[in-house]
Amino acid sequence: MNKLLFALSLFFIISGSINAQSSINPDISLIGTFNTFTNFIKGTPEYGKLNFGDPEMELFVDGYLNPFARATANISYESNTFGVEELYGNIVRGLPFDMQIKAGKFLVGFGKLNTVHPHAWPFLERPLFHQVFFGESGFNDVGINFSFLLPTGDVFTNLDLGIFKGSSTIPQTDSNAIDRGINPIFVGRLNAFLSLDDYTNLEIGLSGSYGTYSKGNMILFSILKNVNNIETFNYLFGGFDFKFKYAPDSYTVLTLQGEGILNHRDVPRIDYFGVDYSTASSKKISNSGFFIYADYKFQKQFSVGAKYDYTAGILGDLPTFYSLSNDDKNSTQGFETWFSYYPVEETSVVRLGLQHLFYSYGDGTKRSAETTIKLQFLFSLGPHKAHPF
Amino acid sequence: MKKIILILFIAFVSMNYANIKVVASTTVIYDLVKEIGKDKVSVDFIARGDQDPHFVEVLPSYMLKLRNADIFFRIGMGLEMWSGQLIDGSRNSSLKVIDLSTDIDKKEVPNYKPDASYGDVHPFGNPHYWLDPENAKVMTKEIYEALASESHQDEAYFKKNLDEFNSRIDSKMQEWTNSMQKVKGKSLLFFHASWVYFAERFGLKTAGFVEPKPGIAPSPSHNAELVQIIKSKNIKTIVMENFYSDSAPNQLSQLTGVKVLKVATAVYGLKSVNSYIDMIDYIVNQIIQNS
Repeated sequence: MNKLLFALSLFFIISGSINAQSSINPDISLIGTFNTFTNFIKGTPEYGKLNFGDPEMELFVDGYLNPFARATANISYESNTFGVEELYGNIVRGLPFDMQIKAGKFLVGFGKLNTVHPHAWPFLERPLFHQVFFGESGFNDVGINFSFLLPTGDVFTNLDLGIFKGSSTIPQTDSNAIDRGINPIFVGRLNAFLSLDDYTNLEIGLSGSYGTYSKGNMILFSILKNVNNIETFNYLFGGFDFKFKYAPDSYTVLTLQGEGILNHRDVPRIDYFGVDYSTASSKKISNSGFFIYADYKFQKQFSVGAKYDYTAGILGDLPTFYSLSNDDKNSTQGFETWFSYYPVEETSVVRLGLQHLFYSYGDGTKRSAETTIKLQFLFSLGPHKAHPF
Repeated sequence: MKKIILILFIAFVSMNYANIKVVASTTVIYDLVKEIGKDKVSVDFIARGDQDPHFVEVLPSYMLKLRNADIFFRIGMGLEMWSGQLIDGSRNSSLKVIDLSTDIDKKEVPNYKPDASYGDVHPFGNPHYWLDPENAKVMTKEIYEALASESHQDEAYFKKNLDEFNSRIDSKMQEWTNSMQKVKGKSLLFFHASWVYFAERFGLKTAGFVEPKPGIAPSPSHNAELVQIIKSKNIKTIVMENFYSDSAPNQLSQLTGVKVLKVATAVYGLKSVNSYIDMIDYIVNQIIQNS
């Protein structure tokens, strides 16, 4: 499979080079990322050493299918493995009610940041609640999304409604879980954009997602029950997000952005009654996560910023019915700061970042805080699209 | 009752005035559309006059402007790389997109395979053609044809406006050409490679650019080369758009005494620049007075 993807990638690149002058060819661009890092996590082999991460790549092929529709493919290479990160078609014009339809595999519009590829973020580390609630690659799923512009005058207001396969719920399952079956999940987002003046813009959004994230056999959780009692575990995410940007001139940009998630879900829990008696049942838990960051670009070539993260769950835990998004006892907080240097223009960036993580356990367990320093080199080869807000 | 009839009559008459909704990618086009369409068009723009038209953030509010528009005029030649995303985001399937560069005599069209090693080279040629006033007439002809096609009953009205505008340009052209005789043949240093149309029209020589390559930030080594050029060719003036950083030109000024002219190259780029003719007037006067 990897060889096939590699061959396809080469084909796209070579055919793109041969026919570079042809305007009917799709745009092809390649993003490369190379990380070196050191950490100060006791007991790890990387402690205090200069470590070289495997290079990462994203190959984008994007273009018009006809005057009304586009198609995009994003092939990623990460941890020495090729994968299809996104592959979708998008009907952008010509549909009734000013609707847009996007179908395929793509980054789901829950919140604002999730739909932005990591190479376009001003910081290095994916927000902690994304990792805990959606997994290391974010909320990425196969499905179909309908987008509507609402008639709100001069305020741009958009409503997205989507139905997805639910593959993105896999990071939240447990080794004791049974096949969740065919259970689509639903995702929606309502966002409004306001230009406060010629230099200041604000976007706010509300998101929601509902579905079955797992199924479990309750007998595994009970020593007394002798029937095979399969329970369905549902989740409900609520999200809020905002992005504020002030750009008084071509070289100065202040960005403030934040997002939060409220998670309400069913989880199996065991109630103990004395030493020998216990029973398992489905319980409802609630937890949350959020991040907020500021990035200040103070010259054409430099920016600096800081981010604060909070999430329920312990980052790096294996997924179980008690950990990550199913964890209502423990939490992780993070502080990240970065300095970015764009040597010539935005086609390449050198970024130095520091992340400090600290953990809180409900049972009082002590764990040392962890610090990682990362130096990233990122380049963008090919057509450089304008930045969306 | 009479008042009601009068109000209804006025509303009816107003409704019968063709009102073509136009969005212009730049304020220069915005002004030219106003000249041709006058009260029969409602026109808005995307890039502000004090903004670099190469780099415009794709704002949803711009998509809303295009959503309600009949025609979108743009400079073309790859200047507005951001416009495609706005057009898609507008969801307006009946929007007519008119590229005003179609009949322009294009300069600096690469006869090589352009890539990023040449900087931000535009593969279809240098798109800053609006700085030549003769090209304003080519642009307004294109605008006239698009407006007339949209509203046939107003074709004569648009043609009259076109003829009036062209005759004003012709008259001003005489004036600008006479004024620029004082500096004809002089060498100037420019910040960005956007002045070829203006320089060729008025007989100015380009001694070099502060940017080592188009869109590439000035470097100390390139500045050192420019110091030599300024001294050897006795350059008096650096001309630059007012949205670029003047840090590197000011360093050159400190080292050599060369004057730095920050000028508006778009309508509303400065408070005193409220039309295309104002803009060329302003640029011509600044260059004459400081070169």
